[in-house]
Amino acid sequence: MTSVLAVKNIVVKRGRRFRLQVDEFAVEPGEVVALIGPNGAGKSTLLTVLACLSLPDKGELFFLREKVSKGNALAVRRQLAVVFQEPLLLDSSVLENAALGLKLRGQKTGAKDRAYTWLQRFGVEHLATQNALTLSGGEAQRVSLARAFALEPKVLLLDEPFASIDVISRSTLIKEFKSVLSSTKTTAILVTHDFQEVLALASRVVILDQGRIRAQGTPRGIAAHEIWGGLAGAQIPPMPGS
Amino acid sequence: MRGEKLFSLLLLVLLVITLTACGTEPAANGEEPLEPEIKDLILSTTTSTQDSGLLDELIPIFEEETGYLVKTIAVGTGKALEMASLGEADVLLVHAPEAEKEVEAAGDVINRQLVMHNDFVLVGPAEDPAGLQELETAPEAFAALFENEAGFVTRGDDSGTDKMEKGIWADLELEPEGDWYIDAGSGMADTLKIASEKAAYTLTDRGTYLALKDTLDLDILFEGDEILLNIYHVMQVNPDKFDGINAAGAEAFVEFMVAKETQDLIGEFGVDRFGSPLFFPDAQ
Amino acid sequence: MDFLVQGFIQALRLLLAGDKEVYSIAFLTLKVSGLATLVSLLLGVPMGLYLAVSRFRGREFLVGGVNAGMGLPPTVVGLWVALFFWRRGPLGFLGLMYTPTAMVIAQTIIATPLVAGLTMSAVQQLSPKLRLQILALGASPLQFWWLIIKEVRLGILAAVMAGFGRVIAEVGASMAVGGNVRWYSRVLTTSIVLEVNKGNFSLALALSFVLLLITYSITYLLTVLQQRRRQA
Repeated sequence: MTSVLAVKNIVVKRGRRFRLQVDEFAVEPGEVVALIGPNGAGKSTLLTVLACLSLPDKGELFFLREKVSKGNALAVRRQLAVVFQEPLLLDSSVLENAALGLKLRGQKTGAKDRAYTWLQRFGVEHLATQNALTLSGGEAQRVSLARAFALEPKVLLLDEPFASIDVISRSTLIKEFKSVLSSTKTTAILVTHDFQEVLALASRVVILDQGRIRAQGTPRGIAAHEIWGGLAGAQIPPMPGS
Repeated sequence: MRGEKLFSLLLLVLLVITLTACGTEPAANGEEPLEPEIKDLILSTTTSTQDSGLLDELIPIFEEETGYLVKTIAVGTGKALEMASLGEADVLLVHAPEAEKEVEAAGDVINRQLVMHNDFVLVGPAEDPAGLQELETAPEAFAALFENEAGFVTRGDDSGTDKMEKGIWADLELEPEGDWYIDAGSGMADTLKIASEKAAYTLTDRGTYLALKDTLDLDILFEGDEILLNIYHVMQVNPDKFDGINAAGAEAFVEFMVAKETQDLIGEFGVDRFGSPLFFPDAQ
Repeated sequence: MDFLVQGFIQALRLLLAGDKEVYSIAFLTLKVSGLATLVSLLLGVPMGLYLAVSRFRGREFLVGGVNAGMGLPPTVVGLWVALFFWRRGPLGFLGLMYTPTAMVIAQTIIATPLVAGLTMSAVQQLSPKLRLQILALGASPLQFWWLIIKEVRLGILAAVMAGFGRVIAEVGASMAVGGNVRWYSRVLTTSIVLEVNKGNFSLALALSFVLLLITYSITYLLTVLQQRRRQA
């Protein structure tokens, strides 16, 4: 199988200190990979590299076997989508926001219709004409997700997308997100602190610590692991139906 | 979004304003009879000269006759002379004979000619606490101000007026200081205002005083001494000493200022407004 | 009190009677300050954006310069521009001394740091992650800057108002490099100074009303624009 995204021998430095050092990491089509680890482990840094938002100091990034460089970074970015912890909407209408990525990528015709469909999918189409900065946190994050899915990305990268949402809305949103993810068969990389999310969404878990990959495996495998289970903070709930 | 469209519109409007503004840069008047080689003529003069309004009357006539564009730069006497010494002006109209002679001796200016004079007067509150009205000469009047420590407002701006006042103190070997001696650091009009508010004396040119009389509680309390004359000369900046001087224009302006028709206009200026002339033509 | 009323009446009379000189002075004022504001916008906005977003050696030094420049005294700017444009100055050969162009240049120097500084602080108030998000959405460099500008347009409008307000109100620089030449480089502020010196207080007052009227109308238009946007 051809990896969608892969890194080889990458090093990211902050000043003189190593922030991230990953020899090998790849994401296969259809996977949902969770990146977990303590604060400062380099999860978000790895995500930024994978999203082509900053090139590593050393090493290589491949998108569908093609080496990513300054020259083609924009083209690669236009095949991906990123959702951050904050919704990061712009000062215009919700619909404009949802259609923005499509427009930037030159897909102007039908952009708004497609964006609207995705707003419906996340249940926020009634807000379409409102200014995006007036939304509540939960609503805004739904718009942010709709904006990302509207792009039909080859890989969807998420940096703690549910962390700022209150607990009650969170579980509903995660459920909706999961159903969208599986129905669209979107490949995804999810940075999270929350092992519940990992269990609900991920097909593979990668544990980062001090800028290095320490272990990987299935969510249940990691949770059961004598060392890494503790790091994952996993208190495994009984699997429903098993 | 509406806001965004408006924003773009604003940028557009600004752009259009700019373009039209550029298109209307001051164009040369089409109907000028002459087309001088260098059009711009920088006239360096004193604020009091400009403030009198005399130049607003004379310069359009000169411009029409000759086709020059006169840029009247009104500054303090010191700066006006300095502009000549630096070659930054073409022609001067100033009233500080002693300083002018120095600049002339240095070769910075040539063709210096007497144009006109007006006079300075001492004004103050009607009660005249220092008793100036009884006195005969200007030095006596200043000495009386000093002895009585009657309030006095000085321009303190190194202008011609300021220089004249300081010169009189110096000749008397007096050094005015203290609460009664107020340094305004202002032009003539502001200085008069301050003197009026503080019921103090000040030295002023007659023209500015007459123009402002109605708004002031000040009367003329001393006048007529020869040393209080304000004598105006016109002169060219030496074109051999500096590059880029509009010598032809400067010469034309000097000629214009001493011409009979101009001299007549000077003698009539202000009569209709104040009932008496502000300047007395002196050119032969 | 009489003075104020008189001045106000005279201002109205001057405007309604279409006094040619007042109109030409007001028009030149608008032209010079409008042009200076526009040029400072073209220079200051990119400068502010760049300083807000980029990281490079000497950036603090430049930011300090911009912040100090926001309070640059017009008289000082006038002096420096004059030194450059004097006949014997380094740019004397351009023959710009005592021209409206020189006034535009001086006012641009006064307004640019203000525009740059306010733009910079507006951009810095955006979440730094927003810049990553815009890039992640697939923005090219040009699209990126355009979106950032759109995002801080209210801040830029405020910068326009502040810049325009500052240059239309300044007198020191215009006097120094424009020379207050009648029918040529005389603007509202310099003519107010002149009329005060002449003792024409009511005319000075009238001109000051004209100045206030212009400043207020322009600022009002911009404010309407800004506030309408807020409510949308």
